[in-house]
Amino acid sequence: MKRSLLIVSVVAAVFVIVAFLVGGRALVLEGFNISINSATQSALMLFASFIVIGQIQVLLTKEMLDRWFKRSSGIKGIVVSAVAGGLFPGGPYIYFPFVASFAEKGLPFYVLIAFLLGKNTYDFARFPMEASLIAPNIAIIRNLITLPVPIIIGLLAKRYFGNKTIENVLGQAGETDATNDRSP
Amino acid sequence: MLQTTVALSIVAVILIMVNAKLSGRHMEGLKAGLKQALLSIPLIIVAFILAGMLEVLIPREFVQSWLSREAGLKGIVLGTFGGMLLAVGPYASFPIIASIWASGAGLGTVVAILTGWALLGLDKAPFETAFFGTKFYVYKWGVSALFCLGAGFIAHVLELALLSW
Repeated sequence: MKRSLLIVSVVAAVFVIVAFLVGGRALVLEGFNISINSATQSALMLFASFIVIGQIQVLLTKEMLDRWFKRSSGIKGIVVSAVAGGLFPGGPYIYFPFVASFAEKGLPFYVLIAFLLGKNTYDFARFPMEASLIAPNIAIIRNLITLPVPIIIGLLAKRYFGNKTIENVLGQAGETDATNDRSP
Repeated sequence: MLQTTVALSIVAVILIMVNAKLSGRHMEGLKAGLKQALLSIPLIIVAFILAGMLEVLIPREFVQSWLSREAGLKGIVLGTFGGMLLAVGPYASFPIIASIWASGAGLGTVVAILTGWALLGLDKAPFETAFFGTKFYVYKWGVSALFCLGAGFIAHVLELALLSW
């Protein structure tokens, strides 16, 4: 979060300077007016979004997802993994070690890739933000269009690699060494 | 905007009730949400400032020829790689994407940006290479890029179909 804040602050400062150089104080004020309007219009939605995010974080425990994961295989496994990925809370520093721990336990590659892409594509906790900060119709269209992506990629991985683990698929000793208790 | 706020508020109340009944940890959920909000607010404010500046700075001609519905495939390709380069979290990137949409970008372009950001985002690259290796990252990138372009194309066709309907 701090890294993102730093990056966005630097870029925003650069754009404020560029706006000033291009259109002077008037253009900068116009930009700030748009920012304030967008922020005030989204404030209530953001408030509700954070309540939803907090409740989802508490409702879905890592242990619950862990159990789902272990019970499923085949096509059901792909769908369950993709949905579990979408439900899994937290950023990459949380879900990558989680996936790596399953890779170590020898879970098939197709299950892991479906989980990772489910997290990237669905991320249900992100939906309220997507709807409130961009537009509800765009969020719905984007989610509907990309809904099959983790499942299709999971099915392709199952078709081509069968039950091979990630280590077998990548076929390079050392490529997956990083899965051994490595945290970012 | 009002409808979304009402819908989200209803979902929030339902989740609080479900959490209270199932685990009794609804207050913990509210605290988690508040903590996440406090952590994210500075980033959201800066992202809104950036989005406002982008909206006044992006030239109309650029949007028309590169990002609009008329730009077609050009906008989808640019959107996919633009989304990949937008290597920051949702609180920072969504207001930026909203400003691109407000500037007149096509639906295909916006869906391509969102999908490119979600699947190809460079912020995930260090984790993917560190945990599963470069080969994994390259394969995942190659397959995902095709799906991003596909998603943008479907959205573009959908927009054209909705307009002609």
